[in-house]
Amino acid sequence: MALQDLCNLQHILLESEAAEQSPGRFGEKAASSYESGLHSSSLLDFYIPVAECLDESPIEFGQIRPDQSSCSISSESSPLPSLPFVSSQPVPLPFPMAHGTTTLAFVFQGGVLAAADTRSSCSGLVACPASQKILPIHSHLVGTTSGTSADCALWKRILSRELRLYQLRNGRRLSTSGAAKLLSHMLHPFKGTELCVAATLCGWDDHSGSRRAAQGQKTDLEAVSSDKVSLSKSSFLTQQPCARKEASLSGPSLFYVCSDGSRLQGTLFSVGSGSPYAYSILDQGVQWGLTVAEATSIAREAVYRATYRDAYSGNCVDIYHVTSQGWTRRTREDLKEEYYREKESRRQTHEAEKKML
Amino acid sequence: MALAAVCGGQSSSEHFGQLFSGKQARLFDRPNHFSFGTKIQEFAVPVGNEPSGFLRSCNREEGVRIDLNHGTTTLAFKFRHGVIVAVDSRASAGNYLASNDVNKVIEINPYLLGTMSGSAADCQYWERLLAKECRLYRLRNNHRISVAAASKLLCNMMLGYRGMGLSVGSMICGWDKEGPGLYYVDDNGTRLSGRMFSTGCGNSYAYGVVDSGYKEDMTVEEAYELGCRGIAHATHRDAYSGGSVNMYHMREDGWIKVCKEDVSELIHRYREGMF
Repeated sequence: MALQDLCNLQHILLESEAAEQSPGRFGEKAASSYESGLHSSSLLDFYIPVAECLDESPIEFGQIRPDQSSCSISSESSPLPSLPFVSSQPVPLPFPMAHGTTTLAFVFQGGVLAAADTRSSCSGLVACPASQKILPIHSHLVGTTSGTSADCALWKRILSRELRLYQLRNGRRLSTSGAAKLLSHMLHPFKGTELCVAATLCGWDDHSGSRRAAQGQKTDLEAVSSDKVSLSKSSFLTQQPCARKEASLSGPSLFYVCSDGSRLQGTLFSVGSGSPYAYSILDQGVQWGLTVAEATSIAREAVYRATYRDAYSGNCVDIYHVTSQGWTRRTREDLKEEYYREKESRRQTHEAEKKML
Repeated sequence: MALAAVCGGQSSSEHFGQLFSGKQARLFDRPNHFSFGTKIQEFAVPVGNEPSGFLRSCNREEGVRIDLNHGTTTLAFKFRHGVIVAVDSRASAGNYLASNDVNKVIEINPYLLGTMSGSAADCQYWERLLAKECRLYRLRNNHRISVAAASKLLCNMMLGYRGMGLSVGSMICGWDKEGPGLYYVDDNGTRLSGRMFSTGCGNSYAYGVVDSGYKEDMTVEEAYELGCRGIAHATHRDAYSGGSVNMYHMREDGWIKVCKEDVSELIHRYREGMF
């Protein structure tokens, strides 16, 4: 299997380098309790994390409690701005909303559209009003990021490196599904820790039918059903023979990967604290037959509405469009203009009304 | 204070003295426990347990937790032709759906409506009490109570039991001398006047839709459509909202009930042609 091949080669390569590795490797950046398990220093070596990390309940995953100061991955450098986590709330939400951002992505006839705001906040301080939350991974794959900025940036780079290595070894690009699986496997050893990455991988695959078997368990769910989000978890441990549509093997594809282990395929995702506001706009307007201009304006409106109501989202909006030719990026737009335009039009109708009365 | 005069109460300083004295037992558990405000203004507290302490112990991380969830979606917005009020109709008890056909709007009188979110019991009780007070006001003063005053009455009732575990998120909508009125009142004692509110755990989904489609000069049909859409999309994404949309329109001459539409049919209608 391609993945195994990748792991074995890696393992051999890294072991030889292990001796002279500088301490700056990501493996050693993790909490010191990991060191005992890291003699092989292989990226994809699946060892059980040290017991004390497992004391944290997975339900609390990604939620920083004020008394916790150990296990912080970025402790040695200056505190990196991270998107805020939700600790205990006075009115509990139906699900914990942990990531302070708004990102969204959806599939339509013109490819995949990904949009995100640009605010990086650090528990109430806007650390960076112009950050990049959509990171291109390779020419035909972009990933939106949500969670801790540091973790997302690092893992995206690792993923790009692994995908490039795969491409060099096998002569073709890994599909979005494979990339999602790879990312999910790489994040698995850190399950139960404070690593927090919630990414959607948006890509365009162009594979012909002959490569189907080699790709492994590609659990394509019905893309044409009326449900936007295919909710049955595509578990990477079980094989699920299912009806694979020819059309969905190549073309636009969208996966959601989360550091708690979820890997879901779908046609519409929105992640972050502003996602409920965006979801309702997207549910209203997203259809398969949209033109690129319509899709862009819906995505922009959805991000704008989320930034309007959510404190942790704001500033500008980034829009990336992935097609068979690769990804293209629109110029970053400041949503302040949108806000003033709306305010102005409200003011005008208000005045028109006053005149009428 | 006008309120004290309305309720026939004594001056406020006397009451505070009574309330905050060490022996609160004398205020408890009279035979006529529920006769609020008829003779004296009093805040009855149940005998025995100290409610806020008990609640605090139930809200800690470990052990038994009583999660007071506002599991619903309600929305209301003002526009040129009045106020639109739209609510879902699902009642949940944790993960169990108790009912899909609950009326979450209480018709206080022909020109005042109250919505309910939070604990069904609390909302129904306190809003009925509010209805009684509004009726008494009308009888004593020969003119209708204003929306601001009605919401203030409810707000003060909530403040009396602040911290003791009430769970009420309500919007009081009406039309009085000042025009259409919309107030949000909740169990913390918050009372806000505004153009648009949405409460409940599905509120964020409703906010997205209504913010996007709202225009001050909407026609009545557009407003009905917007209200339906807001609730429908919220019930689509939120597990604790569902059932049907109950919609009311508050006009100058009173409210009318616009429709009661099943949410699944609405969603099918809206999403025809998508994927």
